[in-house]
Amino acid sequence: MAQGGASDLAKREQRLAYWLLAPTFIVLLLIAIYPLMSVVYNSFTNAVFASTTPTEFVGFQNYRTLLSVTVKSIPPKRDEAGNPIIDERTGEVAYESAVSVLPREPQRFRQVTQFSLFGNRYVLGATDPDFIRSVWDTVVFTVATVFLELVLGMIVALIVNANFKGRGLMRAIILVPWAVPTAVSSQMWAYMLQPNRTGFFNTVFWYLGLGSGEIPFLSDPTWQLPSMIMIDVWKTTPFMALLLLAGLQLIPSDIYEAANVDGAGPLRQFFQMTLPMLRGTIAVALVFRTLDALRVFDLFQIVLGQARYSMASYTYYQLIQNRQMGYSSASSVVIFLVLSIFAIIYMRSLGVRSDER
Amino acid sequence: MSVKTKRRLNRVLLWVVITVMGIWMLFPFYWAAISSLKSEAMLAMTPTTFLPRDPATQQFTIYTRNYQAVFTNQAFLRAIVNSAIVAISVTLLSLAIGSFAGFALGKLRYRGKTGTLYVILAMTMFPAIAVLTGLYAMITNLGIPPIPSMIITYMLFTLPFTAWVLTSFFRELPTEIFQSAQVDGASPFQTFYMIMLPLTAPAMVTTGLLAFIGAWNEYLFALTFTSVAPNARTLPVIIANFPSQFSMQIPFGEIMAAGIVSSLPLIALVFIFQRRIVAGLTAGAVKG
Repeated sequence: MAQGGASDLAKREQRLAYWLLAPTFIVLLLIAIYPLMSVVYNSFTNAVFASTTPTEFVGFQNYRTLLSVTVKSIPPKRDEAGNPIIDERTGEVAYESAVSVLPREPQRFRQVTQFSLFGNRYVLGATDPDFIRSVWDTVVFTVATVFLELVLGMIVALIVNANFKGRGLMRAIILVPWAVPTAVSSQMWAYMLQPNRTGFFNTVFWYLGLGSGEIPFLSDPTWQLPSMIMIDVWKTTPFMALLLLAGLQLIPSDIYEAANVDGAGPLRQFFQMTLPMLRGTIAVALVFRTLDALRVFDLFQIVLGQARYSMASYTYYQLIQNRQMGYSSASSVVIFLVLSIFAIIYMRSLGVRSDER
Repeated sequence: MSVKTKRRLNRVLLWVVITVMGIWMLFPFYWAAISSLKSEAMLAMTPTTFLPRDPATQQFTIYTRNYQAVFTNQAFLRAIVNSAIVAISVTLLSLAIGSFAGFALGKLRYRGKTGTLYVILAMTMFPAIAVLTGLYAMITNLGIPPIPSMIITYMLFTLPFTAWVLTSFFRELPTEIFQSAQVDGASPFQTFYMIMLPLTAPAMVTTGLLAFIGAWNEYLFALTFTSVAPNARTLPVIIANFPSQFSMQIPFGEIMAAGIVSSLPLIALVFIFQRRIVAGLTAGAVKG
């Protein structure tokens, strides 16, 4: 290999590789790295989009407004003798209003939610309750969808991995929800979730004797998140199933034959053989789906609009509706950091996989 | 229970689960399809009907005006053209650029390879929302029209994906072909162009299809970049914000018709290329 010709060839190969990679890196620099840098820079300013007021450097002000939260205990209302007042109708202790305990300086805190703990009443306040709520909702959405999609996706993957007539057709059918554009499926489900019996779900619930047939799935806050989760589970379970199917197909089939000879039942085979061997695939699929769920936008924006935000749709509204470029940049950076943590986990779990093989 | 009855029971159970699964996957699409065949009055019936029925006589009737309305809707027709232009350009561009990168990453030996592999992999997970503000400012400052800006920016998610998937396809091609071409005196670029590229045509179709579907469905950038340019709106933007021209009611019949029209090409593609899509998706996501 020490010959001049070989090393010349290697050099040529290396030069060609750099030339071939250059376009990709130029494009990515232009649409990912440069905009990201400018987002980070803008997040420290009070930039307003398409405005003539000069942009000023504000340090961490945007982040402080976005992320400031506080928990304060709310004292019960007391009568003149100092005893807590009990509400006559509900029989529960009446509390002072949350506004009276939340700090106003340096910025006004507003209520996100109230909760009780050990018999005391607390309020969670934030300087931007909408953002904190969007973070919480996105996290709940992510945990619920990823969990449900894993369980259902596993069932679907095991089925389409089984041997039956029409397996090819079934594999095509499970791709349908994935292929329908999210904008379309969001509208489809919004129509099925209509708040009266023109909607599919209300009609079915009414036939089954559940509810009045007038459940406002998309305007009642208690139903909004479950509805979003249900739509996303329908839409993305197929994708999860495909990832798991790829993992299932890497498992050699002769180990199942051996297990059958040993008399291990299907459940035992699943928990003691399939699941452990799928560990790598599951880890990858989980983090991959988590990243996707954390940046959910289409679904929330189309179905709920400004009634309830995901982290991404909140950022979008701050930019387009309020033209708060600095502020929306800061929330972009927060989302980016959260996602990066998951991306690193993803890389790690991939690394583990390639080491094992 | 004998072994035979047990096996038969398992078979029945399997088919029950398969049926439930099929209904679950297809029902929303069926519901959209029948709703697109209902008139305003039929859509407003309570309880809703599982087939399009005449409100007065309950007879099965099909109403086709929604499709007529959709196909005479200028905004919708323009959106089809816009979506096609954007998705096809994005696909061709990312295939061209991505196959260069895929070849380099999959077959060539050079310094810094692991690093570049990790950068590309990291890019496949890059959140579009993180650069939305920066891209929007950049595009407005440079005055790039919406359609070219969509084409350029969609590469954010299609290019790393195509590069990554094509890398794994290139890697699986036997190196001997490449080496024998070199021995025959072909330059590396000739080898790439005349031997590797034809060999990877199937992989190109797969990745191209996935890039196309991704670009056809993209919503966040499309919505942002066309916020002041109605003529450049793509199908997802039009469908998400369907205008109700004649009544205050949301025109769900027309929305469903538009939705069916814009999903059918994708569903047809998915059915034709089912095997390849599964291979491409899983290669992109799972194979390390």
